Amino acid sequence: MAETVTKQRERKEKLEDILVVDCDVHVHESPRELIPYCEMPWRVALENIKDVQEFYLDIPGFSPGTTAYEAKFPSGQEGTRMVHSPEQMREELDEIHVDIGVLFPDHFLKIPVIAQIDYAAALARAYNAWLLDKWCDVEKGLLGCILACPQDPEDAACEIRKYAKEPGMVGVFLPCAGLERLWGHRQYDPIYKAAQEADLPVLLHSVTVIHPVFPFNTHGFETEFGRHICSHTFSMMANLVHMITTGVPVRYPNLRVAVTEAGISWVPFLMHKMDKEYVERRREVPFLEDKPSTYLKKMYFATQPVEEPENLGDLVTMMNLYDGEDNTIFASDWPHHDFDHPAKVHQVPFSNEVRRKVFGENALRLFNIDANGKRLNLQGDG
Amino acid sequence: MTQGEKKREAHVVGAVSDFPEWSHRVVRVGRRQIGVFNIGGKLYGLPNVCPHQTGPLCEGKPPLGTLVSRAENDWRFEWVHDGEVVVCPWHGLEYHVPTGRCLAYPNINLRRYEVVVESGKVKVLL
Repeated sequence: MAETVTKQRERKEKLEDILVVDCDVHVHESPRELIPYCEMPWRVALENIKDVQEFYLDIPGFSPGTTAYEAKFPSGQEGTRMVHSPEQMREELDEIHVDIGVLFPDHFLKIPVIAQIDYAAALARAYNAWLLDKWCDVEKGLLGCILACPQDPEDAACEIRKYAKEPGMVGVFLPCAGLERLWGHRQYDPIYKAAQEADLPVLLHSVTVIHPVFPFNTHGFETEFGRHICSHTFSMMANLVHMITTGVPVRYPNLRVAVTEAGISWVPFLMHKMDKEYVERRREVPFLEDKPSTYLKKMYFATQPVEEPENLGDLVTMMNLYDGEDNTIFASDWPHHDFDHPAKVHQVPFSNEVRRKVFGENALRLFNIDANGKRLNLQGDG
Repeated sequence: MTQGEKKREAHVVGAVSDFPEWSHRVVRVGRRQIGVFNIGGKLYGLPNVCPHQTGPLCEGKPPLGTLVSRAENDWRFEWVHDGEVVVCPWHGLEYHVPTGRCLAYPNINLRRYEVVVESGKVKVLL
């Protein structure tokens, strides 16, 4: 096992000399953009809202629900940055030294709150087709994730199979915001089966919504401060607990699982908490072949929004608590309001070896790609 | 004005008319980027780098006010420092321009550059 902390005489590698794979950047989709990719009759509904005023991640009939539940005082940070084209994305990622960016949506982070099952599935299909057509570009280092619509798992599995061999698609996005049944539910097995067969990792990603399902029933908070914390971190913890306690990692042993936008400091907590429960309640989860933390440690954890303790060495300590040198992956969340500049993670006192793993090498393994973003699991397909 | 041990140099960054009241702009002095703010007729200079994650602190919106809450006022919210608080466009960290004080982390104080007007020219002293 490598030394995690920088050795005294080792010269720290510069950020620009390190391969940076950014596991979470966001494209901006809109009703107007998706119209040509959407099937009838849903296309009519998109036509109908194409000129509706867009609020940040809030379009009626598309990504319902506002996040402005408080008085709207003027602020110098509007937090509404968006990326509208692959060219813009490439330029902006270059500015922050990112070599490869993995693409997630803006509005459809919230797709689980769409009530109409067939509409949600149609939106996911339109998004996937649009993403591949307009955004995914291995040359540009822009790689997509197939949006798996939780309302229609069979259709989501079809989508995964449809794009399984696309060089520009490297993962499956499991949306978590407002999710009715947590991702461990058996109804999602077709998604896991298809992802495992395609050798595509699944990536969980949440966002703030107020919705009557745990942990989004956050109407009691007076602040976005409170809701934002719960919507991301608690959602990840809830989904991972559910996935492990329903045996997803046992039933799909080759499925790679990653979580985004929750930071990393909760991972040691969850690990120890689950192992403690396991002492008393093993019989509730008899399919587990090892203690829960064993499965958790096989998952990948994205750094953003990275904790910023006064002593950044504390982050190394936290990572070591979950043996995180091989399963921690860098993410910036560009262009969102709480994005991390890689310079911050670069300040963490890792050894050069661990720094390279966190910034890029671990992600290459997660996505099974090479340093040019080329998929390594497409051989033999001509 | 007392001078420090080192003699400071005056760098012209524009005409007075370039900095109308309640405006701000980022100027370059050598390799430095400095945000020059005209707050109610008085000029202030701050570095255009947020110590948090190096965001372009002075490139955002003009300074606004902010909210505080004090025991003396029964913890009611108050709108204060109107036109005096610059906010980093990257992550929203707030700074009081006249003092350089960070509102969330009072241990962070920005370097303040002295800005003077001489013969219709605005100069930053370095």
